[in-house]
Amino acid sequence: MMCENCGKNPATTHLKTVVNGVVHENHLCSYCAANSGYSNIGGLSLTNMLASMFGESISSGKPISKRCECCGASFSDIAQSGRVGCSECYTTFRNELLPSLSRLHGKANHIGSTPKEEKGEETSAEKIKKLKVLLSNAVKAEEFEEAAKLRDEIRALEGEENNA
Amino acid sequence: MLNWYENVDTLNPLAVSSRIRLARNIKGVPFPKRMNNTQKEETLESFKKLLDGVKLGNVGTLKYINMETVPEEELFAMVERHIISPDFAKKQGPKGIVISENEAVSIMLLEEDHIRLQVLQGGFKLNEAYEIAKKIEAILSEGLTLAFDSQLGYLTECPTNLGTGLRASLMLHLPILEGSGSLATIAESVSKIGLTVRGMYGEGSRSQAALYQLSNQVTLGISEQAAIDNLSAIANQIVQKELAARESLDKKSLEDSVYRALGTLRYARLLTSAEMMNLISSVKLGVEMGILEDIDPILPMKLLIETQSFSLQKANGRMTPADRDVLRASIIRERL
Ligand SMILES: [Zn+2]
Ligand SMILES: [Zn+2]
Repeated sequence: MMCENCGKNPATTHLKTVVNGVVHENHLCSYCAANSGYSNIGGLSLTNMLASMFGESISSGKPISKRCECCGASFSDIAQSGRVGCSECYTTFRNELLPSLSRLHGKANHIGSTPKEEKGEETSAEKIKKLKVLLSNAVKAEEFEEAAKLRDEIRALEGEENNA
Repeated sequence: MLNWYENVDTLNPLAVSSRIRLARNIKGVPFPKRMNNTQKEETLESFKKLLDGVKLGNVGTLKYINMETVPEEELFAMVERHIISPDFAKKQGPKGIVISENEAVSIMLLEEDHIRLQVLQGGFKLNEAYEIAKKIEAILSEGLTLAFDSQLGYLTECPTNLGTGLRASLMLHLPILEGSGSLATIAESVSKIGLTVRGMYGEGSRSQAALYQLSNQVTLGISEQAAIDNLSAIANQIVQKELAARESLDKKSLEDSVYRALGTLRYARLLTSAEMMNLISSVKLGVEMGILEDIDPILPMKLLIETQSFSLQKANGRMTPADRDVLRASIIRERL
């Protein structure tokens, strides 16, 4: 099969995206795949999706004029591109970003590994405790998908403990 | 030292490769899109100092390469070997890579994030790959301050990677599920549990290599180990489905199609990349099922990777598509 985009090179990259249950497929050569960006296929670009999510925080609130001191980005820079400017932006624009982030990831908090200097703060027993609180909250709120995820997580941690 | 595609998982030959990718950034430095060239050069220099020449037992010595000076054929040959992303190959401006001797480790520097650490292993080796990734991450976090937030985890340019920044992937060879059209259904159901299936080399009427990549999507609120365990469990289920589908095939017609593919590869004088992949996939199926016992199990993947267009040109110089087809056929004829 030849590349659907340029028709010149053999298609080596097959992109398959599932958007709302509809499967989109594209066959591209590696050159065209690079040009299009994986996330752009299927008529729905991830960047645009993120941008529109962040954009809502702008239109629903007052204009935000502050800029990130580290990278110079304004919140509208982030909202327009769907991309964050630097690690400090997450502090500078935390309140603006959080609503969209929780729509993207659910109400989850990070429970994976931590960089060296932050280690030693939380043992897995503490983590399990924290998760159990989140689990009972999720059950109370009837968020069963979230609850199932948390339960798996607790089991995995308990498994690690038992093996250790 | 062997490349990922020169290793075959004898226990699970359908699992062609395992990949761990970690996205990391340096605290207080703009993400690559907002860096100027001076900042980029300086950052690359600090990566080079930290990583160039580091020896790691199972993967060999790490080497820094300035990617701006690498010719285009080589860049896209690296894409074909899965060492860098297509986006990174196209990217303009200062960029670098740190790569291990056997190419199992490749660290893209100043791609979307400052650091995209990738560990590739042949076979079903996600845990092994993650162990290696953790070792390298330890070196990084020793020498640099990584951007981290206790609620959001590792901070990344794209908010979808927040949390662990981990993308774990398994590449599976699924010719029979593909042929029966069940993959769309599988793709849909795994998407509901936070995984994706993406073809690596195309599908459709058995025209391509039937290689599919299963990856996790969720990075926040799940630990690395849980993400890897989930992915492995689902991959095992898909592999079992493929194996069951293989069992139900008519043995004689399967044998026939495997030997026909082998015959064409052994005698063809012109092979396009697409035809090569389709035929190699059948031969690989024959090897996996014990039909072709004399063929070295690593050969199908090795030929599939090494006779793709950019890899051929990297080894033999720029040529026309017609010349590539001739060369591809003659290499395969000789080796098979
Ligand atoms: Zn193309
Ligand atoms: Zn910033």
